[in-house]
Amino acid sequence: MLPKYVHEIRDPIHVFIRLISDERQVVDSPAFQRLRHIHQLALSYLVYPGATHKRFEHALGTMELATKVFDIVTNPSNLHERARSLIPEISQSEAQLGYWRQVLRMAALCHDIGHLPFSHAAEKDLLPEGWNHERITVEIIKSAEMREIWDGMIPPLHANHIAKIAVGKKKLPDEEYTLWEAILSEIIVSDAFGVDRIDYLLRDSHHAGVGYGKFDHHRLLDTMMILPTTQESDELDLGVQMGGLHSAEALLLARYFMYTQVYYHHIRRIYDRHLIEFLRSSLCEGKFPTSHKEMLRHNDVTVLNAMIEANADSSKAGSVHARRIIRREHFKRVYSKNPAAIANNLDIVKTICDGLKERYGQENVIRDSLEPKSESLHFPVLDHQDRIVSSDFLSSVLRRIPEAEFDSIYVHPDKEADASKWLESNIEELLRQSSEEEK
Amino acid sequence: MTLINDFPQKAVIVTLVNEMAKIEGWCGETHIQKTTYFLKRLLGVPLAYEFVMYKHGPYSFDLHDDLTGMRANRFLKTEPRYPYGPSFRQGDLGSVVTTKFPQSPQRFKNQIDFIAQELGGKRVMELERLATAMYITLDEGYVQSNVDDRAQRIRELKPHVSFESAQDAVQRVDDLRDRAKSQRLILAPYD
Repeated sequence: MLPKYVHEIRDPIHVFIRLISDERQVVDSPAFQRLRHIHQLALSYLVYPGATHKRFEHALGTMELATKVFDIVTNPSNLHERARSLIPEISQSEAQLGYWRQVLRMAALCHDIGHLPFSHAAEKDLLPEGWNHERITVEIIKSAEMREIWDGMIPPLHANHIAKIAVGKKKLPDEEYTLWEAILSEIIVSDAFGVDRIDYLLRDSHHAGVGYGKFDHHRLLDTMMILPTTQESDELDLGVQMGGLHSAEALLLARYFMYTQVYYHHIRRIYDRHLIEFLRSSLCEGKFPTSHKEMLRHNDVTVLNAMIEANADSSKAGSVHARRIIRREHFKRVYSKNPAAIANNLDIVKTICDGLKERYGQENVIRDSLEPKSESLHFPVLDHQDRIVSSDFLSSVLRRIPEAEFDSIYVHPDKEADASKWLESNIEELLRQSSEEEK
Repeated sequence: MTLINDFPQKAVIVTLVNEMAKIEGWCGETHIQKTTYFLKRLLGVPLAYEFVMYKHGPYSFDLHDDLTGMRANRFLKTEPRYPYGPSFRQGDLGSVVTTKFPQSPQRFKNQIDFIAQELGGKRVMELERLATAMYITLDEGYVQSNVDDRAQRIRELKPHVSFESAQDAVQRVDDLRDRAKSQRLILAPYD
């Protein structure tokens, strides 16, 4: 019997994900296998019990979708004349185009390989200044262990190409990107149609048991094209044909709903904050290591084990925070940002937070704030007359999608009733304490 | 000079958008990106935004994020304009931030007015080309180089731009720089 060259993996979202033996070496590498032990949605399973899926399957799904998009946007029948003239790589030989297809697949597969335990929950606070999971991802992709795999592929792949396309220009500002490399990285990470987002919305929605994240991604993918940003422009972006506009609207609405209902769920958010405090107390010097070899020893299983130990033994570091998570004794929300209040006090949440801290003590009050996620709700659309028109003009739905943001204050459960009462009595005065410059 | 950020920086952006709206009807994100870049790098207004060279010339991911936040907080709003992308306008709470944080917009009023006057009416492609020429001149250490060298560098980054068009962009940013110097608008030494 001949050795098997193409391997299939069952997947609840894409049914089958196929990979060749060379690629399976990447999947079998210790760095990639570690993703089996990193929850995609951190502690969200404490709110949505089904949300126990891991980065591992998301990475495979992202690779599957990236391949589909590549095949569609490079298909000669889908090429806009300006894309053909501005991106010489697109008209290269089949072998050369095949190289980039393989680079994109590996970049998509590895785009999350440097994630910390519990995904995004702890990243900002628990890495030294200047570090993030993308930087660790780049280190891993360029590591000697992974280079050996890239070098052994046919054709061999450049680690730097994979790294650039996996994390994008935003996270590698010092790298020079060709237009082609920029477009390839946007297939994975772009605000509007990145396959990272398409996969996580579909997958998170499926596992959390909420319908909000579902949309017709088959139609969207089928209509994707590399298009000039405007009718006259020489610059290119990912866009859609007119027939895909409603699917694109559905994707961006799904994103808004998933953020407001799942990712920014107020109880999920406070568990993340307790997790950060636990890790800060229990990790050596309160930070994760940045050496990728060290980092690979940390995953959700090691953290959960430490948390269970700390919950059982109050002398252990971080015990108080571990108990908040394991015994579900989380802080309670008493205020969340209200746009109307901003008209009176631009920094109303900080004013209230300072007031509560003064009254109840620093340790009993937590502010959790996330800037609205940046997004591009406008993208080029090829209309029925072959003109390039902005989606913003064509879609009143896109124009009306609000930005999802989160800014809330939580207090110790024992202080909740009193704090709510205090806030109700003092809100008018707090609104008058407007933040402004000294004249 | 101390970097300005947070609300004072937002007040500068709202003011810039207002000035641009007086000059030209369409003020898309590219207009804001490129004029903010000129405000910072050519005139030395100490904004905290970091710019990198990207597909369409210098680009700040921080500013992109901030524009999203400013829409969420209703400091800015957008309006559709056929066939282009959205045009930014002051939102219903925009005057709140400029009223409560008036110092930076006042201090840099001449710089904001200059940029809006000089660049506000330009088309997107022209702005991208000029901003790319400025980036090469100021951020890539080509400040002492002649026009042809800088035009050549533009061609390396954007092969579809003709050499003549690249030369024209370099000459025009040099002229712009001379006008800014003669009006004593440059706040920080850049060369």
